[in-house]
Amino acid sequence: MKKNSRRSVVVAGAAAAAFGLTMAPASAVPSTVWTVTPVGSYTATNSSNIVLTATIPMTCTTSGASGSMASATGNPATVATISAINFGTSASPCTSVLGNVTTVAVTPWTVVAQDYTAATGVTKGYVGNVKANVTAGACKFTVTGKASATYTNSTGVLAVSSVAGELAVSASPAPVNCGSVVTTATKPTFKGNYTIKASNGSIPKIVGTNP
Amino acid sequence: MKGHRAAATQSSRARARGAVIGALVVVAALVPATATAAGTQEVDAELPYLCALPSGKLPAQVRIQAVFPARTGPGEPVEPTGVTTSVQLPAEAVADLAALGAATARPATRLTVGVAQDGATAEATWRGTAEPVRLPGSGPLTLTTTGDVASVTGNGEGDLTFSAGSLAVDLALVTADGATAGTGALTVDCSPAPAAEREPLVTVPAGGATPDPDGPPASPGSSASPSARPDGSEERQADRAPEVTPAVPGGSAADREAPPCRYDDAHPSTSASLNAYITGYTNVAKLKGASLLPLSCVLIEQGPTDIELFPDFTGGYLTQHSTGTLRHQGRAQTPPFEATFLTFGFTPTKATMVLEQTGPMTMDAHGETSFLTLYTELETRVRVPLVLRVTALEVNGVPLEVGPACRTKGPLRSPEPEPAKFPGDHLLLTGSSTHQPPDQPVGYLLSSGGQLTGEMTVPAFTGCGGGGENLDRLLTASVSGPGNYVKQTQGQTCAVQVFNPDECTEDLQPLKIPVPER
Repeated sequence: MKKNSRRSVVVAGAAAAAFGLTMAPASAVPSTVWTVTPVGSYTATNSSNIVLTATIPMTCTTSGASGSMASATGNPATVATISAINFGTSASPCTSVLGNVTTVAVTPWTVVAQDYTAATGVTKGYVGNVKANVTAGACKFTVTGKASATYTNSTGVLAVSSVAGELAVSASPAPVNCGSVVTTATKPTFKGNYTIKASNGSIPKIVGTNP
Repeated sequence: MKGHRAAATQSSRARARGAVIGALVVVAALVPATATAAGTQEVDAELPYLCALPSGKLPAQVRIQAVFPARTGPGEPVEPTGVTTSVQLPAEAVADLAALGAATARPATRLTVGVAQDGATAEATWRGTAEPVRLPGSGPLTLTTTGDVASVTGNGEGDLTFSAGSLAVDLALVTADGATAGTGALTVDCSPAPAAEREPLVTVPAGGATPDPDGPPASPGSSASPSARPDGSEERQADRAPEVTPAVPGGSAADREAPPCRYDDAHPSTSASLNAYITGYTNVAKLKGASLLPLSCVLIEQGPTDIELFPDFTGGYLTQHSTGTLRHQGRAQTPPFEATFLTFGFTPTKATMVLEQTGPMTMDAHGETSFLTLYTELETRVRVPLVLRVTALEVNGVPLEVGPACRTKGPLRSPEPEPAKFPGDHLLLTGSSTHQPPDQPVGYLLSSGGQLTGEMTVPAFTGCGGGGENLDRLLTASVSGPGNYVKQTQGQTCAVQVFNPDECTEDLQPLKIPVPER
């Protein structure tokens, strides 16, 4: 146990060192001007299954979102709002071993940019202002928080990959009929890829600069 | 006399409509006959018992009340009425139940009654149910149940004696805030204290009644056949494949060709209440065919899903315990269903049956999840004691009297891997699922349903027959036996206090109607 954790610390340290070296030129000066093209409305469609966890995993085969994008200044900066997002549909709901899971988003959510790498055209940030009411059978709970994400200009893929601790289970309203599998101590996660399209059909670009 | 017989015919048809109506008709038809012929005798016996509770064997007082005919004649059915079983458990037993967190207990009793005539014996089970009883703060707990019991027809000419045997008390335990206490169900097995053994409850003397030359007055009877005639009933059986009348219910929700399935004042919902339909096939091994269980309503109290983390926190063991009940017109049973078999000498025989639940239904899920790989698996075991009751038989289109108490001697029984934890005969169905994200989970999903399978033994039949004919052996020989494969499909549940329009109708019935699969 102790041995394991020490090993993982070493691995993490090595990864951070490697990361620091390659990222140093881009990260040295954080972006404060974010240019989005085109601005305006967009749609997002999942390009792979979305996996949500609240101790137990659940798979959504369909998920989509819509909202609007805009250029912004500052760091972090909100470059898009998510005015609607669905997880599963009536015909293909999200499922877990406990049964179908209904996730109703309380919007707007946001897409927040924090770090831009010019060499790769990748923006790092998070999906923020997350709030969703989840039900599985008689078990009901509310998830709030944020989920780390990256956006790649060349592919138009928003890859959401939250880290444990970013999302939380709300204490008000508290979970009901869920047992110890979902409590306010549970750290939910949200992972999956979305393909973003602007209203004109093009792939939007996000560019961060520090003038 | 002719008028009498016509009334009897009508009453037997009415019985097929429902056991409740049937039982009333039987009593109504029987009382004048016995009262004029011989009168009645009332039994009110208090007997010492020993009951096995979690803390050990405790003395209990069992009181049995029933009304028997004063006399019986050959071929004349004896149907005890007004049967009430009371069990007084001592304060220590109440403490045992309280230790499980229970505030109320809903009892169901199964009293084994030995019937003897001319040295031949048979056993009947007297079942009783009651509303939930609040546990007293101090002192003993008295549980009083009532229920219909099988009638008995002697084949011999001697006195019929009835003796009280072992008593099982099934308790559905609920905490003060409405959650299930402990595992939710506890069966307390009681046996007569040594002093009470071998003392008959009542003797119904033979003779006295003048048999009607045209036959029994109302032929309400059935028989628990106290004789053991080793005759050749089997000769009337034919090992022919059956023909199943598949009254397959519609798969779409729009036409709603489904029985009502909702909570009501008699069974109010809670925040954890679900309802669902279940349907499927049960093989009858002896007949080399399958019988369709019609679309049946199940009301479920979903238990919490709990996790016990692995020592290295890389995942955990998952458990969920839920309880449920079949529900049809206010009773814990399936709707009546029909199956046509080619038995009785190559003759098409149509049986109308119901499955009656005689104790709590439990659903226990066990599994595990890995936080590293997200691989998750869950196995759900559904346990329910079900007695198969035959309400009507038609041979080549001609109705055959089965009587009001024709059913299996005990519940359908499956092999039980945990007999100590889940005692008593019951049907066990299992459903399993696995989930490796990002793929979808496959298999039986607890609240969304899927396939539940199992295997069961159909016990011997008892109480079948009328008009002097005993059909017990006939039914037992054609249907009873082990190795019957069961495949049931559960539909998506509706969480009635959550209301999801994808899962519930507007009046909170299950939207999804499953289709039976072979």
